[in-house]
Amino acid sequence: MTETLPATATKRRKATAAAHADPGSRSVERFAYLFVLPALALVVVFRIVPLIWGLGYSFTDYDGMSAPRFVGLDNYIGIAHDPVFLDSLINMLILLATLPIWIGLPLVLAILIHQGVPGGKLYRAVYFFPAVLSSVIVGAIFNVLLRYDGSFNLFLKALGFSAVDWLGNSSTALASLIAVQLWSTFGMSLLIFLAGLSTVPSDMLEAAKLDGAKLTQTWWYIVIPSIRPIIEFAAVVTTIGMLTSMFGLIYVLTAGGPGTSTILPEFLIWLEQGKMNRPGYASAISMVLFLMMAGLAAIQIRIMSRNADI
Amino acid sequence: MAEVKTREKRILWVISVPMALLALSAVYPVFFAINAALKTRKGYVLDRFGLTTDPTFVNFSQAWNESRLSEYFTNSVVVTVGAVLVLLVVASMAGFALAILRFRGRKIIFITILVSLMIPVQVVLVPFYRTMIGLNLIDSRPGLIIAYTAFFLPFSVYLMTAFYARLPRELFEAAQIDGANLLRVWWHIMLPMGKPALVTLGILNTLYCWNDVLISLLVLQDQRTLMVGIAALRGEYTTNVPLLAAGICLAAAPIVIIYVIFQRQIVNGIAVGAVKG
Repeated sequence: MTETLPATATKRRKATAAAHADPGSRSVERFAYLFVLPALALVVVFRIVPLIWGLGYSFTDYDGMSAPRFVGLDNYIGIAHDPVFLDSLINMLILLATLPIWIGLPLVLAILIHQGVPGGKLYRAVYFFPAVLSSVIVGAIFNVLLRYDGSFNLFLKALGFSAVDWLGNSSTALASLIAVQLWSTFGMSLLIFLAGLSTVPSDMLEAAKLDGAKLTQTWWYIVIPSIRPIIEFAAVVTTIGMLTSMFGLIYVLTAGGPGTSTILPEFLIWLEQGKMNRPGYASAISMVLFLMMAGLAAIQIRIMSRNADI
Repeated sequence: MAEVKTREKRILWVISVPMALLALSAVYPVFFAINAALKTRKGYVLDRFGLTTDPTFVNFSQAWNESRLSEYFTNSVVVTVGAVLVLLVVASMAGFALAILRFRGRKIIFITILVSLMIPVQVVLVPFYRTMIGLNLIDSRPGLIIAYTAFFLPFSVYLMTAFYARLPRELFEAAQIDGANLLRVWWHIMLPMGKPALVTLGILNTLYCWNDVLISLLVLQDQRTLMVGIAALRGEYTTNVPLLAAGICLAAAPIVIIYVIFQRQIVNGIAVGAVKG
C-alpha cells in the first residue's frame, strides 16, 4: 500500500542507536537478529524465493510432473502470440488510460470538501465507505444491480434512456468493471488528497483571495501545485491497484467474460495456474506483471527522492 | 470581500447537490442488499426495489444454516484474528529491532522487507502455491494465517519501524538495554508505547484479511472463508437474490460495524500512510 523508506526516521535511528545500545554488545546483536528473523523469514520464504523460483520456471517447459527442461524464451514468445494474453494487455491499457478520472474525481471532491462544502465531514465518511467493503461484496451486489432488469437500468429508463445488458455485452462489460472499481475505491485517493490539503498553509489561500483571485484560479495555481507530490503518489498507488487489486471484483462480477473482455493479466495468471499443467507458462505472465510492478516502484522511489530533495 | 464570500458560499451549496447524489450512490448498494435480504423470494420477484413492508429473517437463517455461512464465518474469524495477532507481534518485534537496536545488516534487512511489496501474490502464484504444498500448509487455517502474515507484513513492519523511531529517546535511556532483558523491554515498553500504531495496523489488517479472496481461494480447498463462500453463493443462487443478499449482509456486517466504530482510526491510518509516503 503506502510504503517508503522513512528517511527522517533512518537518520534519527542512526544517531540514537549509537547513543544507546552498547555497540559492542554481542548479546544485543544476537537478540536483534532473533527479533527481525520472523518477519524476514516470512518475506523471504513466501515472496522472494518464490519470485526467483518463478523466474526459473518461466524459462522451462515444466508441466508439473516430468523434470523441467530449459527452453529459453519459448514461454515469453508463446505469451506474445497468445490472443488471450494480448487481450488482457489491451484491457489493461484501457484501464490505465482511465487514470485521469481516478485522480481527477477524488481530487475535485477533496478540494471541495477542504473548501468547506456543507456536510463535508459526512461526505468524507460516506465516500470512503465502499472502500472498506470486500470486492466480493461489491461485486456480488453490482452483479445484481447491473443485470438487464436491475436497479441501474430501471434508473436509466426513468430518465428516458434504454436498458443495456452492462455485464453481458462485451462492449460494456469492461467499462462496467472499471466504473464499479472506481466507485468503490475513489474514497481512498480522496483521503490521501485531504491529508495533503491539510498541509497547505491557509494564509496562502487567504492572500490569493485578497488579491481577487477566483476560486478556480486559486485551485489551479496554488492548491494543486502545492500538493503535486501527493497527486503523483496517489497516481502511482492507484496504478499499482489497477494492476494487482482487481482480482476479487473480476472473479465475482464478470469472471473475465463475456469472452476475454474483462480478463486482466492478474486474472489470467489465476486461470493459467488453475490449469496446473503449465507452471512455466503462467510464470512467464507473472514475470511480465512483476516487471510492470518494478517499473512502478522505480517511479515511486524517484518521485519520493525528488520530493525529499526539496 | 463579503460579496466574494457569499458568492463562494453559493457555489459550494450548488455543488453539494451532485455531491449528495454521489453520497447516495455510495450507500445505495448496501441499502439495496439489506432491503432485498428482508424480502421473501416471492416478495422480491413481485417488487424488487420498493421498501419491504413485511420484513422476514428467513433468508438470514437459511444462509447461515443451509448455505453453511456459519462454518465459513467461523473460519474467517479464526483466520483473521489469528493473522492479525501474528502480524502485530511480528511487526512490533521487527520494528523494535530495526528502529532501536544496532546490528549489522539492519538496513539491508529493512530494504529486503520493503522490496517484497513489489511482489504481490499474483506475481508468485505458482511457486507460492507449491511452497505451501511443500510445507504442508495447504488447506489448513494455520497455513492461511501464515500466508496472510507473509503478504500483509511489509507495510506493518514499515509503520512500526517509523513509529518507534519517532519515540522520544529518554524512554530507552532509562531502560538498560542489554541482551538479557530485551524481551522484557519489548513487552513492557515497546508494546505499550506502540499502541497507537498497533491499533491502526490491527484495524487495517483486519480489513485486508477479512476481505481477501485470492489468497484464501489458493490456500484453502475443502474449507472456505466467508468471502469465498459469498463468491460461491453468487454463482449458485443467481435467481434467489434475497438469499444471496442475506449472505452479503452477514459477511459485510462485521466490517460495517468496525468502520462505524473505528472510522477515525481507519481514516487517519490511510492519511498517515499517504503523508509519510
